[in-house]
Amino acid sequence: MLKFLRKTLDANAHRFEKGGFLENFFPLFEATDTILFSTDEVTESGPHIRDSIDTKRIMILVVIALLPLYIFGALNVGFQNALALGIERTNGENFRFGFSAILPLIMVTFITGGFWEILFAIVRKHPISEGFLVTCSLIPLVMPASIPLWQVSIATTFGIVIGKEIFGGVGMNIFNPALVARAFLFFTYPGRISGDKVWIVGPDGYSGATALAIPAAAVNQNAVSLLDNVNQFDFSWWNMFVGWIPGSIGETSKLLIIAGALFLVITKIANWRVMVGALIGLFATALLTNLMAPLSSNAMLSLPGHYHLVMGGFLFGMAFMATEPVTGCHTNQGRWVYGILIGMLTVIVRSINPAYPEGTMLAILLLNAFAALIDWFVIQANIKRRVARYAQ
Amino acid sequence: MADLNIRKGHDIRIAGVPGNEVQQGLKPKTVANQPTDFRGLKPRLLVQEGDTVKIGSPLFHCKTHPEVSYPSPGAGIVTVIQFGPRRVIEKIVIELAEQEETESFISFRPAEISTLERNQVLSTLMNGNMFPFIRQRPFNKVANPSDTPRDIFISGWNTAPLSVNLDVALRRRLPQFQMGLNVLQKLTSGKVHLSMYENTVSNTLLELKGAEVHTVVGPHPAGNVGIQIHHIAPLGLNDLVWTVNAQDVVRIGTFFLTGKLDPTLFTTVGGPGVKNPTHVKSRMGIQLETLLQDNINDDDQRIISGDVLTGTKTDLRGYLGFYDSSVSVVPEGGEREFIGMLKLGSSTSRYSLTNAFLGLGKKLYNFNTLNNGSERYMVPINAWEDVLPMDVLPNALYRSIIVQDIEEMEQLGILECDDEDFALCSFACPSKIDVGAMIRQGLDLMEKEG
Repeated sequence: MLKFLRKTLDANAHRFEKGGFLENFFPLFEATDTILFSTDEVTESGPHIRDSIDTKRIMILVVIALLPLYIFGALNVGFQNALALGIERTNGENFRFGFSAILPLIMVTFITGGFWEILFAIVRKHPISEGFLVTCSLIPLVMPASIPLWQVSIATTFGIVIGKEIFGGVGMNIFNPALVARAFLFFTYPGRISGDKVWIVGPDGYSGATALAIPAAAVNQNAVSLLDNVNQFDFSWWNMFVGWIPGSIGETSKLLIIAGALFLVITKIANWRVMVGALIGLFATALLTNLMAPLSSNAMLSLPGHYHLVMGGFLFGMAFMATEPVTGCHTNQGRWVYGILIGMLTVIVRSINPAYPEGTMLAILLLNAFAALIDWFVIQANIKRRVARYAQ
Repeated sequence: MADLNIRKGHDIRIAGVPGNEVQQGLKPKTVANQPTDFRGLKPRLLVQEGDTVKIGSPLFHCKTHPEVSYPSPGAGIVTVIQFGPRRVIEKIVIELAEQEETESFISFRPAEISTLERNQVLSTLMNGNMFPFIRQRPFNKVANPSDTPRDIFISGWNTAPLSVNLDVALRRRLPQFQMGLNVLQKLTSGKVHLSMYENTVSNTLLELKGAEVHTVVGPHPAGNVGIQIHHIAPLGLNDLVWTVNAQDVVRIGTFFLTGKLDPTLFTTVGGPGVKNPTHVKSRMGIQLETLLQDNINDDDQRIISGDVLTGTKTDLRGYLGFYDSSVSVVPEGGEREFIGMLKLGSSTSRYSLTNAFLGLGKKLYNFNTLNNGSERYMVPINAWEDVLPMDVLPNALYRSIIVQDIEEMEQLGILECDDEDFALCSFACPSKIDVGAMIRQGLDLMEKEG
């Protein structure tokens, strides 16, 4: 079977090579060929031997880190639906219900994303980048399960085309394409994804406030006791950590996100400096706002750091969006600054700006824009150090 | 505690590590000097096909510095002068005579050497065609005799994969090595820096005089002279230092004592494609067929003059490079694995500096020449930074070279860099970018424009 596949590919290779009548579709052939069988390219000179890592492996590992989130996401969608309807269901039934709810979302994302990626690869004659696998895996995870499919399709288009391809593809983009997709929906169709109302696949007219929106809407009260008094959902710290709360498909289970983040750090795909920096920034800023809480009527200021951690999309953004190597800082010192600023901005946007109870997405996008500037300072410091040495 | 503690880098666990025993090499039929081994050299031939030469006779000189001539590594008849595209002289092949004669130049007694003037040392080296053994940084090319180097650097420790154990190569030749140091001391106004591995078995190099000895520990490229310069006395904007390979220091010492070029060269034969990896007491410019006879595996192998990171691809009929002292053999190509990117990998199937695969143990790994991926745009997961023990930002430098911003390249320290120090970056790069080649491009551009 394998041999037959290999033979078929080899036999048809010439049709796609220069001069063949399917020449224009070479990127498609190359992608199929190298996804199915690892490449047979050999080194020309320089290092005659090479490390086994390649971008395909990097991207597939990120996708693997995301898989548990999909499984839990499906479970939780079913669970929240049952909760809203007030019925009892087994986990199996919950999963089945949730899976059938998110499967169309995943399919629409991959079909749309794949279409644009292939179109650009053929027109621009560059290889199909495996990066779109990660982008397309991330997009459904940051969407509520109840989002209309046409919106997902538009968002994916916007994320891939405007967020990535117009810059030249993976490696050239400034903003994280998955976040660009989400931000697009956030600002164009806020009715479905504004961040203050929960989204549940459930009966019409059913709604509720998200955990972050509750203290954001209140004045002169303590955020934690507000959360404890919510009857509609269980917004206790532990439950938010485990993830049985309404939210975007992939963001709710902090436990699995941490597991995925550790996996990426251990495999050395993601940089731990960004994550640690973001945690430091988050806790330090939360501490600061807590100190200021008595001076203000803003209930959000009294929310302690460990609550910030498990609420909203912070952990998901920190683990899978902020660590994206291309759009983040490229120097180690820069990564620290970049991470810390993301943590700080998340809390600031959440606490100070009542219009956007969720701040992570905006914090990361803003820092994406500043990543090159942070790197510039690091580079200048390096240059100054060298100049000082020359002067000796 | 070593003077230099290099932390970043990596010792590639490639199979076929040569043992410390030394085999007596066979006498080859032919040897060659390849002008392409010398960076930026524009050679003018001094011999023709059919001429008879001795060991140490000049074969060609540089058009821009005619006082620097390049020696013949053997005695016999020049049989082939091979030209490449655009009339580039690729190699000058000498068929060795039964009895080889050596060109004889002026010699000195040990006591005399210490009284020599700089000019006398220089003219002795140039008249004896010995000057090409001295290279300069920046640019890592043959030095210019009219320069006075700030310092001279010698690395007494090879860390490149499968390279010669200098303990083995220098052990019995310390007096000559000492003479070489004395000679080199005359050439600089500064110091002669000699770096050696902290735990050298014999500790013999420590007894040497006239050189500043530095002990080094750490993974490759800790033994690269460029890394040592960067940590001992970094190159300033207008600084110029000279470097000499340790075995060539011996050669220079011997030359001053005897007036003759000694073509002896300790080499290694190693790599996964070699049956019996070993050290060989061999000679300069040897045809690789002689070194590898019956010692390589049957299937398609890549023969590399030099180490697997920086060496030159050649074949059995090729010759050992002028500055190379190892020959590496690696199986060519490999199997196309079905959905390879999803495989867990094991210590026998995958080797990576990341932990993206399972089971990377301490075992030696049978590398092949597979690229293990296709070239992509840069995905900066810190792969370069983790193996570059220099205060240089490889990512920023790489970008400045792409846009050919000479000023920024200089500010980012390109003059301290050489492609051999960046070879590990190319090895580790997930996007399969040849960073070393890019650094070389940048250096060439600097040289042309500066």
